[in-house]
Amino acid sequence: MTKKIKLKISARLAKKKMRRSKFTGKKHCRFCGNEDHIREIDFKNATFLRSFMTERSKILPSRISGNCAQHQRGLARAIREARTMALLPYVTQYF
Amino acid sequence: MLHRYEALMLAVPEVTQDEARSIEAAIEKAVKDNKGGFISFERWGKFRLAYPVQKNEYGVYFLTRFEAPEGSNVLDEVRLLFSIKLHNIVMRSVLNRLADEGSLEYQRPKSVEESPTRDVKTFLKENKMEGLLSSVDRKEAGRDFEPRRKPAHVEGEAMELDEDLGFDEDTEDEE
Repeated sequence: MTKKIKLKISARLAKKKMRRSKFTGKKHCRFCGNEDHIREIDFKNATFLRSFMTERSKILPSRISGNCAQHQRGLARAIREARTMALLPYVTQYF
Repeated sequence: MLHRYEALMLAVPEVTQDEARSIEAAIEKAVKDNKGGFISFERWGKFRLAYPVQKNEYGVYFLTRFEAPEGSNVLDEVRLLFSIKLHNIVMRSVLNRLADEGSLEYQRPKSVEESPTRDVKTFLKENKMEGLLSSVDRKEAGRDFEPRRKPAHVEGEAMELDEDLGFDEDTEDEE
């Protein structure tokens, strides 16, 4: 007789995953295959980079923005470069 | 083989036109000595900085672009120029290599001079609401510059009384 194997996934997590897949599909990187957007990843274009930061001016994680690893890297580098030139803040204390 | 480079520099807010011209001339000379080509020199304008740099809230950005042959020491010369000769004008600078081919277009944030002011007066002027503005102004001005009322007899009494008692009387009058 073979024993039954029970998968250990908590009910809460399973429900959460179900909910996510039901309402929102998989996120897409907005830069992949779009050359106009790739050109916008530039440290001089501070107003565009601002949209990938939180209101406390932290860099948004790719988990939320949906960027692929390659473009997230380029974006983060551009934001860091803009910060050294005082185009973007390191931290916003009051907003 | 020529490569394209760009340098963005952040200058102090008090930088004059002559100083800007001297920066341009110095970079152009450094580039031409090394058999390169000078492409452009732009003034972005005055910006409100994201954080104070050397205790300055504002700064002026300049962007310059040039071509230089492979293996020349233009970049070292330009870096030395920023850090030694122009150290009291240029606060921050960055040197980057551009793609060798392709357009030189780019986007930049708006400067203080370009962006519209959020002043109440300009808003009212644009919408032709002058009457409202003048009435508000007069009321506020009147409140500030109105002289404090002090009856003449209080001063005379205070002269006779001791200092402590005189102070008490003044506070009562104000209430």
